[in-house]
Amino acid sequence: MTGQAFFVLTALAEGPRHGYGIVREVAELSQGRVNLKIGGLYGVLDRLAAEGLIEPDREEAHDGRLRRYYRLTRDGRRALAEEAELRAATARVVRARLGVAGAEAAW
Amino acid sequence: MRGGLVRGGLVSGGLVRDGLNLEQRYRRVLRLLPGYYRDLWEEDMVAAFLDSRLTGDPEDDVAILEFCKPSLPEVGSVAGLAVRLYLGGAGAPRRYFAWGQAVRYAALAVTLLQSVRGLDVLVRTAWSRHVFGWLPAPPAGIAVGTPTGILPPAAWYFVAYAWIVSFVALVLGHYRTAQVIAALAIVPDLVWLLQGQFTGALPAMPLGPWAFWVLLNLTPVLAMTAFHRDAPPAARRPWLLALPAAYLLVAVPPMALEATGNSAWVPDFSGLYCVLVALACLAHAPRAWSRKAAGSGVWSLTLTLLAADVGAYRIFSLYDYWHDPHLIAVSLAELLILAVAVALVAPDSARAPTAMPAPPPHPGYAG
Repeated sequence: MTGQAFFVLTALAEGPRHGYGIVREVAELSQGRVNLKIGGLYGVLDRLAAEGLIEPDREEAHDGRLRRYYRLTRDGRRALAEEAELRAATARVVRARLGVAGAEAAW
Repeated sequence: MRGGLVRGGLVSGGLVRDGLNLEQRYRRVLRLLPGYYRDLWEEDMVAAFLDSRLTGDPEDDVAILEFCKPSLPEVGSVAGLAVRLYLGGAGAPRRYFAWGQAVRYAALAVTLLQSVRGLDVLVRTAWSRHVFGWLPAPPAGIAVGTPTGILPPAAWYFVAYAWIVSFVALVLGHYRTAQVIAALAIVPDLVWLLQGQFTGALPAMPLGPWAFWVLLNLTPVLAMTAFHRDAPPAARRPWLLALPAAYLLVAVPPMALEATGNSAWVPDFSGLYCVLVALACLAHAPRAWSRKAAGSGVWSLTLTLLAADVGAYRIFSLYDYWHDPHLIAVSLAELLILAVAVALVAPDSARAPTAMPAPPPHPGYAG
């Protein structure tokens, strides 16, 4: 799973979000390191939707435009949990080898 | 107020007056994407894009809509998405998957030819330095010469070996590594061309060398873009075996001719490539005609793309032979052979979109 996909799934973990909401959340989660452009965001969203990890939730009108919200599917939640565990385990190993106290999950 | 916004930097990303508003400008950018994708995602993308640009303040938003255009990174992200979709991989509609496969095969084929040149340099260098003790000393014509100019010979050896590494990396699935190495490998040629152009070492219109650089150096590097995350991996065994096989088929006969003093029979690169692609078309023609072989359309499309590439190189390099009617006649004959051969498989290219369904998205490819 790429870093972008990981952040997008994480952004949806707390609840459904629309396209720009995901962009903002990903920027916040990554502390500004991942700034998705819209073309890049939908490149990730269409892959995740094709793999059944996310799905449309609802549409809401906003300023005359329809915002489509996306949510995690059960498979998406499981894939995110597995990926988070994998990354946390990797981070623990790295921190242990570096002699850093408190082997916590890191991105 | 608007002037203040513009001067204040709130209205960023370039200012335009083209009778369109920001939404229309962004929709124009989205036309880069295939129709099926726009049907699915355009409204959503437009909504997300405008959300990212508008502030919620009515006056500011009027100015932004009127004066702003999508930023270059934003346009770049859409262009990158378009490349991935048109040169489709797993999960793509058949038409785009067929184009993607054809471009990937063509990129592999041209990189293979470049690798054979690299292997040729490697073997000639080793032979001339008596690495093969059991072989007699090589004839004078076998030695490797490097172009003169500001670049040291090591740069040209790097070019030769880099193509081999790039080809192997491509086959093994290290796509970005392959593209970066190939991109580095084409730099010395460009430096040599520019230096020759500015110092007058090259003729006034060196169409042949420039055509070689654009069509056989730059084009495969760009075509490697088709090897994106969704691209199915290349069949390792056949492609890796193709390298020594192509070396024996393509590089050894000219070397044997040179070693026996028959250099006059060795065709130039463009002629050699025309003949090779023509032979490949003839070998593939029975499958193309049978209309039963699955995937034949994709290979026909690949060969048509290759024929266009090497045919264009042959045409541009004709200019270098303008002084020699015999060489012009030989070159035109090579072009004719290529045209006839590709005419046998080109009609089958139209079957490519229906010949091979794309595999489903790989679960591990997410994002």
